[in-house]
Order: sequence, then C-alpha cells, then structure tokens
Amino acid sequence: MDLLSDLTPLFFFLTIAGTFVGIIFGAIPGMTATMAVAVCLPLTYSLGLINGMALLLGLYVGGISGGLVPAVLLNIPGTPSSITTTFDGYPMAQRGEGERALKLGIAASLFGGMFSLLILYLFAPALADFAIKFSYVEKFLIIFLALTVMAALSGNMLIGIFSGVLGMLISLIGAYDVSDGGNGEYRLMFPFMEYYLDSGFSLLPVLIGLFGLSAILIEAEQGVPEDSSLSKMEISRSTPFRWTDFGGQFINLFRSASIGTFVGLLPGVGGSAASVLSYSQAKTFSKTPEQFGRGNPSGVIASETANNGLTGGALIPLLSLGIPGDSTTAILIGAFTLQGIQVGPLFIGQNVETWNMMIIAMLVANIAMFVIMFYAIRNICKVVTVPKHLLFPVILMMCVVGSYTINYGIMFDVWTLLIFGLVGYLFHRIGLEVAPFIIGFILGPSAEVYFVKSLESYGNLTIFFTKSWIAVVLWLLIMGSIWLSVFVARKARA
Amino acid sequence: MLSFFDVTVDFDRSHLIFPILVSAVLAVLGAVILATRRAEIGAALAATPRWPAGTDRMRLFGTVVLVIIYFLAMERIGRAIPNRGFGFLFASAPFVLAISLLYMHGLSRRRVIIAVLNAVIAPLVVWFILSSLFNISLP
Amino acid sequence: MTNYISTAIAGLSLAIGVAAALPAAAQDLPSNLRIVIGSTSTGGDTYQNSSIIADALAAELGINIKVDAVGPAEGFKALGRDSSGSTMMIFHDHAYLGELYGVRGFDNIFEDYRVGPTVSINPGNAYAVPKNSPYQSMDDIFQAAADGTRVRVAIQPGGVSEIGFSAMKNAASVLNPGSEANIVAMNTGSQSDKDQLLFDGQADVINASIQSNEQYTQLPADDQKAMRFVWLTAREATIQGANPEGMGAMTRDDMLKYVSPTTSVTLDGSEDFTFDKEFFFIYNKDMDPALVEAIDTGLAAVFDKGDVQNTLKASFFIPNFLPSAEAQAHLSEKRATYEKVISAIGSE
Repeated sequence: MDLLSDLTPLFFFLTIAGTFVGIIFGAIPGMTATMAVAVCLPLTYSLGLINGMALLLGLYVGGISGGLVPAVLLNIPGTPSSITTTFDGYPMAQRGEGERALKLGIAASLFGGMFSLLILYLFAPALADFAIKFSYVEKFLIIFLALTVMAALSGNMLIGIFSGVLGMLISLIGAYDVSDGGNGEYRLMFPFMEYYLDSGFSLLPVLIGLFGLSAILIEAEQGVPEDSSLSKMEISRSTPFRWTDFGGQFINLFRSASIGTFVGLLPGVGGSAASVLSYSQAKTFSKTPEQFGRGNPSGVIASETANNGLTGGALIPLLSLGIPGDSTTAILIGAFTLQGIQVGPLFIGQNVETWNMMIIAMLVANIAMFVIMFYAIRNICKVVTVPKHLLFPVILMMCVVGSYTINYGIMFDVWTLLIFGLVGYLFHRIGLEVAPFIIGFILGPSAEVYFVKSLESYGNLTIFFTKSWIAVVLWLLIMGSIWLSVFVARKARA
Repeated sequence: MLSFFDVTVDFDRSHLIFPILVSAVLAVLGAVILATRRAEIGAALAATPRWPAGTDRMRLFGTVVLVIIYFLAMERIGRAIPNRGFGFLFASAPFVLAISLLYMHGLSRRRVIIAVLNAVIAPLVVWFILSSLFNISLP
Repeated sequence: MTNYISTAIAGLSLAIGVAAALPAAAQDLPSNLRIVIGSTSTGGDTYQNSSIIADALAAELGINIKVDAVGPAEGFKALGRDSSGSTMMIFHDHAYLGELYGVRGFDNIFEDYRVGPTVSINPGNAYAVPKNSPYQSMDDIFQAAADGTRVRVAIQPGGVSEIGFSAMKNAASVLNPGSEANIVAMNTGSQSDKDQLLFDGQADVINASIQSNEQYTQLPADDQKAMRFVWLTAREATIQGANPEGMGAMTRDDMLKYVSPTTSVTLDGSEDFTFDKEFFFIYNKDMDPALVEAIDTGLAAVFDKGDVQNTLKASFFIPNFLPSAEAQAHLSEKRATYEKVISAIGSE
C-alpha cells in the first residue's frame, strides 16, 4: 500500500522535529508559528511534498501550542492567540500553580488539536460549503460577538469598554488598507506620522509592548525586588496537576474546541478571535464567572483548547477551497505551489495520498507536542527561578527580536514596542485596562472592513438583522453575551 | 427592506466611516466616565506626590533611557554594516549587561561575572540561531 | 548627556563599520544582499518568484541573499534609505500601477528609483463568472453593459487587480460610448474575498487567477462555487511559453482560447489590451551603475544555464529575462499605455 510506504522514519522524524522547533518559536514572545513555517518553507523543496508537509504541519502545531508557556509563566503571550491564556494562567502561576496551569493547558491543547483534526478528516468539504455562507455581514457579527468579550473581561465595565474602544480607534490609525479592499486613504494621523504609520501600528509589537515591556517597567518602578511574586512561584507541589481536574470540564472542552475549529474555518476572521470568543463563552456559561481572571483553570482550558482547535479548522478551507483560514496556512499554499500542486475544491479527491499523510502528520504532531511539553514542563518552569536581573534583560532583548522579525525587518516595529510599553505603564498608573484594549486593537481592523463592506454591498442597515438565519443566531448570542455580562457585573456589586 | 435605513457608501470617503463611529462611541463613554467619576479624577489630579511612594525612579527612568539608547545604537550599527544582524549583536550585549547591573541588588564579583557571561552568551546564541542558521533578518 | 551618547554610538558604529567594510571593494556586490519584496505574504507569487531568482543568483554569484516580505510601503522606504546596493527590491507591475491609481506610498519608479531587469511573468491573471452566468464571453459582458445592465466586477483596488477592470471599462467606452458607466467595481481584498462576493451573488464578474480558481471551473454547474473563465489578460506569446499540460485540467491550448486575439478586450478599436504581471528588480536611484551591471551579468549567466527556467515553469511562471536597459524601455512603454487607459476612463 502507498500509505505504508510513505510512513518512513524520516516522515516521523520531520514531524516531531518540526513540532519541537515550533514549540520553541511559539514560546519566544514575538516569534510565531507563521514565522516558523515561513522560515522552513524553502527546506520543503528538497524534501518533497509529503515530508515537507510533515515538517511544516509539525511547526504549525508546535508553534500554536508553545505560546502558552510565557503566557502562564511570565504573563507575556507568546503568540496573539494565547492572550486569554494569561488572564487565568498567570494568576495560577503566581499562587504556585504554574506547573498545573501549564499541564492543564497542554492537555487542553491536545484535546483541541485532536478534536479539530477529527472534524477536518470527517467533514472538511461539507464545512467548507458552510463557511462560504458567511458573507461580510455574518463575519462582522462574529467579530461583534468577540468584541462583547471586552465587557466580560473588564474589572470595571465602563472603564473596560472605554479601554477597548480606545484600542479599536488606535488600530484604525494609518491607511484604510487597500489589500482588504479599502481606499488606501490615511486617517487619524498628523502629517509627521505618515512616513512611519502608513500601515498603522503592527499587532505583535503592540502586544509585547503592552504585556512584556510594560510589566518590566512596572517592576522597575518598584525597584525590581528580588523576592516578589515571580521568583516565589517556584514549582510548588501544593496543588499538583491531576487528570481529574478535567472532571467538570467536558462541556467547556467541547465548546471551546468547536469554537476554535469554527473560527479557523472562516477565512479572514483570524486566530486571536478564536481564543477570545471561547474564553468569553466559557465565562458567560460558567456558574462562577467572577472567578475568571483570578486563576480559574476553566479559563486556561477554554483558551488553549480553542487555539489548538484552530489548527484543524484553518486547514478546512485551505484543503477544500484553496483558501487559507489563517496567516500560517497561507504559507502552506506556497509549499504546495512549490511542488506544482494546486489546492482548490478538488484537492482532496485528486490527492488522496497527500491528504491522508497530512492527517497522519497532524496526528503525530499533536501527540508529539503533548509528550514533549508535558514531560519537559518541569524544566521549563525553572525559568522563573532565574534571578530577575538576568532574566529581564534577556526578555527585553527577545521582545526586540520578535518585534523586528515579525514583519521581516522593520525598525519602526521596534519603536512601537517601546511606545506601547510606555502606554501600558501609563494605563497601569491611570487605571485603564490593558486586556480589553488589546482585544479592541486586534479586532478593530476586521470590524471596520466587514462593517463598511457590508454597507457598501447591501446599502441598508437592516441587512445585519435580515441577511440570514445565521445572522439571527449570532444576534441571539450577542444579546446573551451582553445580558450575561451585565448580570454578572450586577451580581458582583451586590 | 426598510428604505429609511438605506445608506450609500461613497468609496472615496469610506475610510472615515468607521473612525468617526468609533470616535463617537469613545467620546460618549469618556463623557459618562467624567460625569460619574468627577470626584475621583479630580482628587487624583490634585494629589501632591505625582509618583506613588516608594517609586524607584533610578531603575524606572534608567530602563527607559537604556532602551532608547539600545534601539538607536542597534539601528546605527545595523546601517553601518547591513544585513548581518551585527546591529543586534553588538548593541544587545552591552544593553543586557547594563540592565543586569541596573537591576542587581548588592554587587558582588560572582554576580557581575555571571551577568557578563549572560550578556555575552545570550545575544550570541540568539544571533547565531536566527541570523546564521535560519537566515532571518536582524537589525 | 545625549551628546556624549550619540558621539559614543557614532564612534562605535564607525569603528565597526570601517572594519567590516574593508574586505568589499566598491564595485563588488555586497556579500550579504537583502531583497525586499512588495508583498507581505511569504506564500504568494511575488515571494516565490523572488526566492527562486534569489537562490539561483546567490549560487551564481557566490553571495548570501535573503528575501524579506516587507510589503510595498516598507519596501520602498528600505530601498530609498540605502544607496549602497545592499538592499534591492523585486516587485511586479503594481509598483507603477499603484502610482498611476494614486495609491499613497507609491512614487514614480522610473524617476525616484531605478528600474532593473525583468525576470519572470505570472501568466495567471484572469476574470471569471459563475458557471451558470448568462455571460458566455467578454462580448456578452460588453453587450450587456451597452443594453443598460449593471455588471459588477469584484477587484482589489489600486493595482494589478484593477487594471483589467479599467481595460474593460475602456473597451466598453470604445465599443459603445457611455456604456462604461454600467461596468462597476466592487472593491474588496484578497482572492478569497472576491470569490466570496461571487458566491454571495454580490458580483457578476471577479478578478481571478488560473492558479487559485482553475479547480472551481471543474465543478458541476449546480454547485454554488462553480466558475467559468471569460478572459485571461496575458499576451498570447506569454501563454505559449507555458508547459503544454498547462495547469490542472486546463491545457495550454484551453488557455489560448481566453487570450487575445480569440478573446478580445479592445484597447483603441484596433489593438487589444493585454496585461502580463511581470516581476522585476528595482534599485535605489543612486546605486552604483557597476552593481546594475553585475546583477545583469549574473542573471544572464543564470538564465543561460537554463535550470531556473524549468523551476519557474514547474510552478507555472514564465521565464522572462530582460537586462536593465531593455526592461526599463519595455516597462515604461507599458506604463504609458496603461496611463492612457486609466486617464481615458477618468476617475469617478
């Protein structure tokens, strides 16, 4: 059989090596799965399609998974999709449960990855047909639903929403991007800013500035005390990880994995929206929503299940429509073209062997990711016992590397890191909230394009309600989400 | 459809629609915050010590100044010797050492030696892996 | 204090700079060359062409070349800052079309930069309709516009995707003056956005490409996703340069049915409009002419060997090497033609 002859030791080696390298890329703040795949793309030419894919898919799964390590241990999201992991992962680490939080996240990642892989294998073409029912209107409503999370994430709802809307406004600075169908005109800036900001602030430097640099500035303000929270949180055995922790989490796992897969399969909506949506839904449907943001394991599980659920989801439109579901899968198209393979609606039928091998590679990568991370985690946790005067400068240096390399070498991105480090510090001083701000910043540009383009295509405001039954369902979810966050806020005050 | 809700989007001006909408929402929220928390905000502005008690100004401002110098140096060196990542390598080592010394409590020979080693090895490893092995552009 | 610091930095950088600059003599190519490209995607055609060419050139010249996908605005900035020749750019016709369409961040590349050799063509730029569309051909579309039917065309504004649309409007006005008003743009983004408008019934024609849409043309007509090509913008000679098996189920002969002269989108009533997406080098205006020469010679050697042609063709790109001087003349003539088309239909 062809299949067996393809399962060479090299195939397994490449998948596992890819996963390992991917995890390292993901774990370094600012280095992403996309970059790992882009860097290794040229290697695939000599490896051939199947072995090349094994390597790239390993990198993809590893890169998406590695992001939780700095999110939990350092409160710096390794990738944009692990932002929501910091909300509960870091508080857990602060009370000595870093190892537990990481293991929960890793197991949740495995579930998310496997779930989405199963969906990919069984339903890819059918789901692709469902995905194309989502026009600008439905996509706008999805983004709107994700934006309602700003309310749920805020300490003080009014201040939180204000911070979130401010994030949206800042994200609109620059040109209305022609490559999204905009008219390329500048807005929200003074002439002296145009040279630097014609494409706006870029997401990753903003993110690591707000989370990484500003955290270090806040520590510096307090004199970098040697025995503060960070070094105290050694790997305590007080609450070790147990598989029974997943006892009441079945619904959460299932819902988060579905959300991750679903967002992955919508082209253009973007990976960060997956974990944000899943986190907010976990909070809304939780019996104890007030514990979210204070180290609730359900939060870590929701976030990590969803961002790995994305992996299988994003491959659905890629392999059954030839349309990438996220930025990483966009590069996979390049790998296919390099080998002279077309990806489109006929891909699976015409390339059954490649398709099966890709599924196997994903399976191996997910298992490898779990084994590597689960057993290496005790050693990884030791990073927090490194004295701060040695750790912090290296983190700063890595933030610079991440900012500079994310767009293949733009110095202004490094300055953006500093600007938003200072912004984050200022927020801390005057009491604005960083989490809703960054969510507004991430979702702002998509919200704009989908909103304006909906009006441009349909020319009537009622289209948002009347477009399809999907729109109606989304409105129900939006109302539910808003109502529940108001309800929770009331309950917390009473 | 209800014609009352009809809108025509002028493509040449479509870049302003969303910013105006978002600014309006922001202004309303800002006004509500000002109205409901006037007292608190006023008190905060009037507070005499601008910096909270125990602020370590040396370490805070030191960090900001060192970061600025670091970025400037990196860019300058990177332009003088382009495309090799030397800007990153030669600026990072002194920067890492400077921050280490700034944050260190109680200088000792052993600690300084470790800091120097850290400052040399860390940038070198990163530079070697990214710039030489993966051919990624560094400043 | 700032003075001390900047002096120190300048001193340091100067010292290192001098030391490192010594081995390379002025007219030699830098041993580490950075090629920025006008696309931010590392999965797209610009990156692929650039990296195929960069790899071949690096091997030929024995230097290290890396390709950075920084996008048009940042690419031009990086190029503008560096006259030493250690930064070069590879981009396609968007470089001057962006300027012709008045997109911010685009300058006249013939005046503010120096245009270098062309290397390859992506012949895939196409226009497609739903498979069950009443429009069987471009003639049907022009007829519909003449009859007063609004034809909505999904494009990405401001570049390669729009030029074919401009040509359609221009042809409509040549054939039936006034009918061009019935050909309207639906401005959108990536290929998937354009496809989506077609699936939604919000566009009658979309800008497409052979590479990403050919499989959709094989779907049965009752599938919501099924499409049909109506026009390939490439020159006939360009398509004839492709491998005979073409792409997917579409052979080279099938493709030739959709290009001029078989499918005609007229330029001025006598000649047809054609558009090839050509990839070419762009240099800093003040770069040493000896370096221009060196790249021309290097590329000529690469194309003489012939391997790079096979690599390009295997990925459905057409080899198209013209040394700097010829490339400049060719591209500036092309620009002049399109400038006329764009100004003829005016800006609405």
